[in-house]
Amino acid sequence: MTLRTRLLLVVTVAVVAAVGVVELLVTSRTREAFEHVETLRVRALVDQFQSEFARRKQEIVRDVEGIASSETAVSVAIAQDYVPFVNEAAAQAAAHNLHLLELVAGDGTIVSSAQWPARFGFKEEWLVEGGDWKARGAFLKREELPDGYTLALVAVSQTRAGDRTLYVVGGQQLDREFLSSLVMPAGMRVLLYRNLEAQFSPAEMIDASGPVASALALRPLIDQVQNTRREAVGRLGGSGAEAETLHALPLTGYENNLLGVLVFASSRRELVELEASLLKTGIVVAAAGIVLGIGLSWWATARITRPVHRLAESARLVAAGNWGATVEVSSADEIGQLARAFNRMTGELVTQRERLVQAERVAAWRELARRLAHELKNPLFPLQITVENMQRARERYPDQFDEVFREGTSTLLAELGKLKQIIARFSDFAKMPAPEMQPVDFNQMVSETMKLFEPQLAQARIAAKLDLDWQVHPVQADPEQMTRALRNLILNAIDAMPEGGRLTVRTQYVGTGFLLEVSDTGQGMTPEECARLFTPYYTTKTHGTGLGLAIVQSVISDHHGRIWVESTPGKGTSFLIELG
Amino acid sequence: LACAALFALSLAQPATRPRYGGTLRVEIRAAIETPDPPVAGHGMPDLAAAFAIARWEAGRRAVFEASENAPGGRPYLDAIDIQMGKSLHDQSIDLEVGRADIVELGPAELLRQPAGRRVWSSSPVRVIALVFAPRVEDARLREALAWAVDRAAIQQLMQRQGEISAALLPQWLSGYAFVFPTASDAGRARALLARLAQGQRSLSLGVEDAVARPIAERIALNARYVGLAVSVTSQAANADVRLVEVRVASADPARALAGLAAALGLPEPPHADSLEALEAAEHTLLQGFRVVPLIHLPDVYGVSPRVKGGPGITPLGEWRFESLWIEGGRP
Repeated sequence: MTLRTRLLLVVTVAVVAAVGVVELLVTSRTREAFEHVETLRVRALVDQFQSEFARRKQEIVRDVEGIASSETAVSVAIAQDYVPFVNEAAAQAAAHNLHLLELVAGDGTIVSSAQWPARFGFKEEWLVEGGDWKARGAFLKREELPDGYTLALVAVSQTRAGDRTLYVVGGQQLDREFLSSLVMPAGMRVLLYRNLEAQFSPAEMIDASGPVASALALRPLIDQVQNTRREAVGRLGGSGAEAETLHALPLTGYENNLLGVLVFASSRRELVELEASLLKTGIVVAAAGIVLGIGLSWWATARITRPVHRLAESARLVAAGNWGATVEVSSADEIGQLARAFNRMTGELVTQRERLVQAERVAAWRELARRLAHELKNPLFPLQITVENMQRARERYPDQFDEVFREGTSTLLAELGKLKQIIARFSDFAKMPAPEMQPVDFNQMVSETMKLFEPQLAQARIAAKLDLDWQVHPVQADPEQMTRALRNLILNAIDAMPEGGRLTVRTQYVGTGFLLEVSDTGQGMTPEECARLFTPYYTTKTHGTGLGLAIVQSVISDHHGRIWVESTPGKGTSFLIELG
Repeated sequence: LACAALFALSLAQPATRPRYGGTLRVEIRAAIETPDPPVAGHGMPDLAAAFAIARWEAGRRAVFEASENAPGGRPYLDAIDIQMGKSLHDQSIDLEVGRADIVELGPAELLRQPAGRRVWSSSPVRVIALVFAPRVEDARLREALAWAVDRAAIQQLMQRQGEISAALLPQWLSGYAFVFPTASDAGRARALLARLAQGQRSLSLGVEDAVARPIAERIALNARYVGLAVSVTSQAANADVRLVEVRVASADPARALAGLAAALGLPEPPHADSLEALEAAEHTLLQGFRVVPLIHLPDVYGVSPRVKGGPGITPLGEWRFESLWIEGGRP
């Protein structure tokens, strides 16, 4: 993974994380703010409803007082016989749009009942014992009807005519019609639980459209209000757009008994949709931010990594041998300093390399001179002795001069031959030609070469072993040069085992190429010797020019291969060549 | 037997020379759906002697024309136009605005009639009674309801019209109705109910006539007071007990009792030669509380000032329109 990719990933992760955190914070804060606004809205709506409720109470009080002050009421109050008025309440209730109306005599006897006409003659004891009804205003009452009980908002007014009193008790049922007549804001509905039964009864939970289907879901809220007799807040329908916020109010009667629970259900649709819209917008903005962030990161990382990339490229060039590679310095920051340091370093490397090459060249010349001197000195000494013998024989033993001359010239020719051979080797190394590539079957080449060495190996008491991998395919190579390299390695191995041993030549298929290994069981070499082994003119032997392995390395290098040595002192040495 | 009390309230009529003839406009609540005009019972069948049917629209309208060959001579009226299916309230309004000459008056409408309104009232000939279905076999349940009923309150609902009675025959006809106790006895009713299982303490009370529904509601209230659940329903055919109205069809007590018994599904009473025997027969009929008489009500009609002559009904509530004429009609 490149530095730029890593930087891009880091910056991207950072951008995504930052955007995510910001989005979460914004969403959370927004939701809190909306919830707060929603609470305030519901509270305002509850207040609005209570105002409406109070207005309805006032209307009922006004209607009931209107009936109580009417001539009809006075007529009923002073009547000696109430029978003619037995249906009067129904007429008055219809005229004043009241659901409930009872005309009750001063002793509590019902004169007329609109909601239950058959009930005349019965007593309403609570009315006589009730106290100051005018001050009480309208209140909630559990009212008995022919078919059960109902919850009603009622008011009581009194008509006084002389010593006669008539109670007018009128009101409206808190039923579906009552709820539907309330002016409610959009998205809000009001539900009423009429606490008329001993146990929770789903049928008593109504709204403006009738019984509430989900009444059972509201039971915990109703129970809470019944237990605490205080307002309670809940939620219906989970957290989706269909959910509603519930605000429950206890409704108590004139005896402070809990007669009902009014539940304001405020739809959360608007809130949920708003939140969803905000979330959607947030996601779009976040996505855009992330894309923009990634784009900017791409651009920024490109700017940041370009000098580094150039540095890396230059370092690669240096590693490939182009020691003169430099980096363009385009800034004064750390990267610029690094580029300058790199340029300085490569400059010094070039200088050092030139110095090293110069030193090596001098050392090589010195080694060459030493080797030449050494190699040439050996044949020259017999030449000198022979010539001196011949001079001495001519001066002291003329009669033996011819024989000495014959032997001396023979010796001189032999030594001169050696000198020519030495010069030819040096000349060969200097004139290493470029390889002529052609498919070479190395297994075959190794087999043929080993056959040539069989007598020599037998004479040196060396057991030869061929371990050839027949998966090795023909490889492009110069057969002459590769044969010479193999011969050199075999000769080296023979030289390394003066007391005999085992020579192993192995080929091995290694995917794209093959491995050629020449191993001996000689004395082996130290790591220092191994390190200098391929240096020209270096040798561990008492004879030789030290050019053999240098030639081998040169051949392998010309074939774009690799040669290395593995040696353990006392156990043997292996030369490994990799070609592909 | 007591004689029927027939009375009429009338305004002082101006002393004008009568101009006979005209069409009498009558409105009734009943909507008679038969293909032909009824020939039995009271009301339209009573006209048959002096008038002939000229137009019949079942359930809506009937027009009778004066019969030239009537036994007592041609009636004064030229025709009688009867509108059927009119509610008591609408009839009262039509009478008030002059669209009708003779209308039926219910208790509420009677109360609202202006001063001086002429009203014809028969003797109490309509018997309001509770009739138990055969499936209500427990006599204790029937008796409990009978004792729970507050007849005085029912009479108040009827604006004190009629007479409360626990007998089938009205007092004016039999003279012994007062011996049948009418007072309610809640304690006795509760005691009877106490012997019944809780599940047996309920009844459905059927009442088809909307005018009679307040009576049923009051009975249900009285029953609830003693611990008997009575639900009022308009599906009378399937109810445990029905609130019914039957008419006294004869001025002869024995024949009237027989007629009432037949109408109420009771056994035919034995022939009675004396009042004591008749009273005993009636006692026998009512003994099992299969039928509980509540009140006897009169037929009450409101009459327009245009209508002259009369009264146009008999103590039994029969129509006698042949002696009536309309002011401003044909001389």
